Amino acid sequence: MTAVIGEASWFCCGSAWGPCGSAGGGACGNCSSSKHQHAWPAASAACTSITDPAACGISLTQRGCGFVHYVTNLCNGKEVGSSIADCGPNTHQFCGERTCCGSTCGTNRIVDLTASAFSAIASLSSGLIPIKVDVVA
Amino acid sequence: MTSQFDRRQFLTRAALGGATVVGATALGSLAPEAAFGAVGPQVAPGTPDPSFAEGRVSSVDGSMILAKGSDGTLNRIQTTSGTSFWKLTPTTASAVQVGDGLYARGVRMPDGSLAADALWLNIVSLDAHVVTLATDAVHLDHQGNRITGHVVKGVSAAVYNGTPAVTDLSMVPVGGHVHVVGAWLPDTAEIQISTVYAKV
Repeated sequence: MTAVIGEASWFCCGSAWGPCGSAGGGACGNCSSSKHQHAWPAASAACTSITDPAACGISLTQRGCGFVHYVTNLCNGKEVGSSIADCGPNTHQFCGERTCCGSTCGTNRIVDLTASAFSAIASLSSGLIPIKVDVVA
Repeated sequence: MTSQFDRRQFLTRAALGGATVVGATALGSLAPEAAFGAVGPQVAPGTPDPSFAEGRVSSVDGSMILAKGSDGTLNRIQTTSGTSFWKLTPTTASAVQVGDGLYARGVRMPDGSLAADALWLNIVSLDAHVVTLATDAVHLDHQGNRITGHVVKGVSAAVYNGTPAVTDLSMVPVGGHVHVVGAWLPDTAEIQISTVYAKV
């Protein structure tokens, strides 16, 4: 798989406080904010039909629960390895959305990291960051 | 040039009471951005990160915060002069209150406590549908739950199409999807908005 450039955010999964209180274990059943995990828009055929990355002109390889991706923050070069634990983000809802660090940009939301994974490469207050997703470190 | 390892050594020593705080800036930036460059233990994908903790604050005793994790674990979080705090905006240790939710990243100490590099209080990151928009609030639907996002004058901002943040939220699309970073008001369905990311 060629590395994919896009945007990442972080999300609730597993039991947690506040608006995350109703978040469950995700599509894979084992998602937790404390684990290095992520949601992937092509976690299954059913998932892809919901997230519909093709609507944004993106073709993502279908990968199932537990598959490991390496996500690099293009703002600082930091990388985190995390495994698929949920279906998401809903890429089609954010077609064309773009996040930049100077002249380095990522377009379209292609991954949601857990709080622990995201905070390993960026401040949680960053919200959205441009990233590269690869299958090798 | 200050190495990333130096920062972790400082935080560890500070938590143990062995670092001279006055000399902290000699180690370089203590801003959150620097913390994420710090060298930590390798974490296997899919496994818990020992340098991370979450939970709700059950007590604050000096620089030690006790937080009950969502899995029932009682986390002991040690703050130092090098800890960065966020609660809607960058803040100080005095902002920590019992009942706050938190995420913390830092260095795991030999006694099991976490010496915090960064501590985010009540922070939420939500994809949501915009139901209505007023001058002082954005009403959101997040996974079927209604959330009121309060606009805080001089703080709340919008990022439209990846352009620099502005304080004018009037173009937030009603009926559209947005991403929101904010600070939860404990035990309510309300947040204070930090940033709304919207495509218009």
